[in-house]
Amino acid sequence: MKPPILIIIMATIMTGTMIVMLSSHWLLIWIGFEMNMLAIIPILMKKYNPRAMEASTKYFLTQATASMLLMMGVTINLLYSGQWVVSKISNPIASIMMTTALTMKLGLSPFHFWVPEVTQGITLMSGMILLTWQKIAPMSILYQISPSINTNLLMLMALTSVLVGGWGGLNQTQLRKIMAYSSIAHMGWMAAIITYNPTMMVLNLTLYILMTLSTFMLFMLNSSTTTLSLSHMWNKFPLITSMILILMLSLGGLPPLSGFIPKWMIIQELTKNNMIIIPTLMAITALLNLYFYLRLTYSTALTMFPSTNNMKMKWQFEYTKKATLLPPLIITSTMLLPLTPMLSVLD
Amino acid sequence: MMTYIVFILSIVFVMSFVGFATKPSPIYGGLVLIISGGIGCAIVLNFGGSFLGLMVFLIYLGGMLVVFGYTTAMATEQYPEVWVSNKAVLAAFITGLLSELLTACYILKDDEVEEVLKFNGMGDWVIYDTGDSGFFSEEAMGIAALYSYGTWLVVVTGWSLLIGVLVIMEVTRGN
Repeated sequence: MKPPILIIIMATIMTGTMIVMLSSHWLLIWIGFEMNMLAIIPILMKKYNPRAMEASTKYFLTQATASMLLMMGVTINLLYSGQWVVSKISNPIASIMMTTALTMKLGLSPFHFWVPEVTQGITLMSGMILLTWQKIAPMSILYQISPSINTNLLMLMALTSVLVGGWGGLNQTQLRKIMAYSSIAHMGWMAAIITYNPTMMVLNLTLYILMTLSTFMLFMLNSSTTTLSLSHMWNKFPLITSMILILMLSLGGLPPLSGFIPKWMIIQELTKNNMIIIPTLMAITALLNLYFYLRLTYSTALTMFPSTNNMKMKWQFEYTKKATLLPPLIITSTMLLPLTPMLSVLD
Repeated sequence: MMTYIVFILSIVFVMSFVGFATKPSPIYGGLVLIISGGIGCAIVLNFGGSFLGLMVFLIYLGGMLVVFGYTTAMATEQYPEVWVSNKAVLAAFITGLLSELLTACYILKDDEVEEVLKFNGMGDWVIYDTGDSGFFSEEAMGIAALYSYGTWLVVVTGWSLLIGVLVIMEVTRGN
């Protein structure tokens, strides 16, 4: 893609999300969503193979349907409340429609089917943008309507998303599909806490974006899209191999790393609201997630797969791939746990 | 009949949408789109929006659909698909029409029909006078406000249209 066009399209993707986040009028929010979706289609279709085209078509269809549902919810809200301002939505039908539309945009279960297929069909860089930046806009709207969301609906979606994200990722060797199922599970954790304490959702979103950005950048350094190519990384980038180890453990939510902060806070907030079974189920199913992250670390950093001898002695070239801001990203995605008492400023 | 004209036009609107949603070839889809655009314009006209309705005819039908028609005519095949040529398309078309007729009969049946939105019989599709609308038509004032208070909206929609063109160009580039 020619550089001026790429700059304009990237700027529009960011502008679309900004318009969604900063608008108080429902029409502008819808326009922001549409602008965002329209501008990301050529990014998804960077390579012109049929797989990428199929992926972008699937993305476009699901997102357009979700935008239509959102518009319908907005119109029903207008009919009953007479105003366009984003505030408490008193009509339950409008609220359910908006929630359904936004969860379709996020890829929560039962609308999760597009996430692995779209993520697999596109390049690693496009997948990174899809799984991190595109989650910000719907999450910000869910934050704004959080007092009016039907808790039962969203909690059901969240619980099934965590289950689907855990079980779906178990049989995958393709890294992009693993990250897609990881995204579904993390979105499930975020959706579970919105109606109780939306601030924890923002915390989870921030840490999830940091960890996913780091993971994708490490994958892009080696241009590896399968577990097998990750397992050859020990020879080229031994330091990156160790980074993948701690990053995967952080994504899985293990305690001394910062991936544990959102899970801990969410379980705490849920138990404060007298819910015992749901956080227990979510914590137990997070183990499924941890299993496939551990499998990645095992094959990358802890084991040497059988390979021919000349694979073990590679030319050590100086690598020229730029990993933007990789050190701060890795540090924030793994070492933020001691800063958790800072959350007391919220009181 | 003129008091029920919006209701009748809405029914025909949905039926013409069924006409192109059943996916005949694009040239026939464009034909039905012209008809549905014209009917949509008539619905807007009946609510007093004379400027906006005529804008639909001029810009949408006269600009965009004409360009669409020309490009489709360049890319069409020798025996394009009609509604009666394929059993699947015909079945979908008849299903759509029957569903619409059944919905219309359900609404016409009694005075109080509560679906998602409360349709009080015919009241919501009959044109009514909103009462105190002043001396100027609301729609003309709305369009004037778009260009005075609503500058940001014009900027955003203009940018979205430009992005639409750029995205279509990028997607159809193909190399």
